Amino acid sequence: MREILSIHVGQCGNQIADSFWRLILKEHGLHESGAVKDSTLVKANTNQEVFFHKVREGKYVPRAVLVDLEPGVIARIESGEMSELFDEGSIIRKLPGAANNWARGYNVEGERVIDQIMNTIDSAVEKTKSLQGFLITHSIGGGSGSGLGSLIIERLRQAYPKKKIFTFSVVPSPLISDAAVEPYNAILSLQKIRENADCAILLDNEALFRIAKTRLQRSPNYMDLNHIVALIMSSVTASLRFPGRLNTDLGEFVTNLVPFPGNHFLTASFAPMRSAQSEAVVRTNFADLARETFSEDNFTAAIDWANGVYLSACALFRGDVKAKEVDENMAAIRKSLNFASYVPTGIKIGLAETAPEGFASSGLALVNHTGIAMVFERLLQQFDIMFDNHAYTHWYEGAGVSRSWMQSARDTVAELAQSYRDAG
Amino acid sequence: MNSSLERQIASAARSVEEARRIAYRDPSRLGDLVEHINVLAELRQQEGDFRKAESLYREALYRIQDTKAPDKELTVGVYSLLAYLYDRWGKHAEAADFYKKALDLGEQLGVNDSDKVATVKNNLAMIYKNMRDLDRASKYYGEALEEFRRAHGDASPKVASVYNNLGVLYYQNMEVEKALDMHLRALRIREHADAKELEPGDLSQSYINLGAVYKALGEFQKAHECVEKARAISAGQVDGGLPVRRRSAALLLDKTA
Repeated sequence: MREILSIHVGQCGNQIADSFWRLILKEHGLHESGAVKDSTLVKANTNQEVFFHKVREGKYVPRAVLVDLEPGVIARIESGEMSELFDEGSIIRKLPGAANNWARGYNVEGERVIDQIMNTIDSAVEKTKSLQGFLITHSIGGGSGSGLGSLIIERLRQAYPKKKIFTFSVVPSPLISDAAVEPYNAILSLQKIRENADCAILLDNEALFRIAKTRLQRSPNYMDLNHIVALIMSSVTASLRFPGRLNTDLGEFVTNLVPFPGNHFLTASFAPMRSAQSEAVVRTNFADLARETFSEDNFTAAIDWANGVYLSACALFRGDVKAKEVDENMAAIRKSLNFASYVPTGIKIGLAETAPEGFASSGLALVNHTGIAMVFERLLQQFDIMFDNHAYTHWYEGAGVSRSWMQSARDTVAELAQSYRDAG
Repeated sequence: MNSSLERQIASAARSVEEARRIAYRDPSRLGDLVEHINVLAELRQQEGDFRKAESLYREALYRIQDTKAPDKELTVGVYSLLAYLYDRWGKHAEAADFYKKALDLGEQLGVNDSDKVATVKNNLAMIYKNMRDLDRASKYYGEALEEFRRAHGDASPKVASVYNNLGVLYYQNMEVEKALDMHLRALRIREHADAKELEPGDLSQSYINLGAVYKALGEFQKAHECVEKARAISAGQVDGGLPVRRRSAALLLDKTA
């Protein structure tokens, strides 16, 4: 069994967890309490144990660790429909919060809670037979998800050097901002993600908002955005959980998607994007599905498509798709995409039999594109304006992150952006 | 890997999870959590996984400190457990740091168990010796010696152990005359001590150390005699009578007391 341990950090990370686990429960025919609801579905796919720990016959507990420095979101999950789902021992909360400050999440509060988190992770890992890796959901603009999330990623890498670490990282949006210090938090986190993670899928709230708005044809709420993220996360792991003709695992993704060490920042797309609430099963013909999957405005980060090239791409189709159609259509799509001159091969393709709930078929694209440099450059620009004027840096220095540390994080990210630009 | 150890770890891990759950609801049960954590951490060390053991003790430490009125006695216990862990792990600086924290807080609390305090001081001195900080090493050996004397009298084997340790220290520092004095004192006590109180290798250890000192002084005849005596003792013992390096974690919590 190739199990995956999901780690959800901070307010944003746990909100995603809320949507994600709802979706996964449905996909595996489980009730909100973890009991078996639809035994035919359970029988059809025997790989529940990728995401769930089987406590006894008919009762499953998510392989997940929920961490927050503020109790709000976790309390809501605990008091909601999934109140009986999670193992109480795998929920870690601590007061007070990180106050939007990466340094507090990483140093002050993080220091005091990281050992408990690692102990919980260690015992969760010991319940697996052959752990494949970790999925981490967090935002890198806030305090808990960014600072404590970075600390967890760093410690995970030390403790489990050979396991894959995938992060789903929500980056600050270009226009909408929750906090003045977001660029600091983001740059400090990106340094740690670059050094310690195997793959980071960047999610931009604004891009998610745009996708949700155009596809759903109404004004979206946060649940809609999180649902998109959940669909992407579910598809990334679909091959591990459901039988299919072309299986892919996390290791194969990394091999195919990361052409240069450190350049492991991806963007993702899910199709067909339809309202989560609509009852009817969504059917699309494959040509449309493939086109929508690779449509530029369907990706979850603000990529500079015009000034960049594809380094690599993976596509995973789920549900009712025919291999012949896939081959024909993907050849055409491969030609239409602007790949780097030194990448002559095609797109890595995976097929899984079961589509997400409510879809007859679906597509997922994971793309490593040099235009992602724009995301970093924008953050750097905002970082520099504040940093050069010494604005807000005292909060970080007060919590043990010196200006030279911040400078080194800035340089790492600047080098990362440049390496993407050079790769084109 | 040893499957019985694995089973013990799995069951200890479950107990910790359960205790964590209880302590979250009822902070007054934190002591139970610390005890369960200690059991698991001990097993982790047997397994050779020092990182996990460290992580467990540190969780215990921060859980204690996060309560409104941190239990100081528990804190001293965890400090010394951590120190002992680092000591075994070979992390001298960290070990010294936590031994000192344990001593300081122990003093504040008025821990007057000379035996425990002396053991900690002896361990601390040994760490400084390994770190080549000879001044501090001899200072703490001196204090340990005083404490043991006060607790057990001049002729105690524990006092002999400290003499022996001091002898090794002086020998390392090329102060051979002083080393000779210390080893002779240790030998005198060990020769007359009740065999039950001695570690099996103690006496032959004294002879071997004396032999080395005589050799350094150029008295090869005496050196030879000492080595022969040590060999005779070793031959008469089942386990070969090799000196066992043994330190005990001091100031451990004794719940029965």
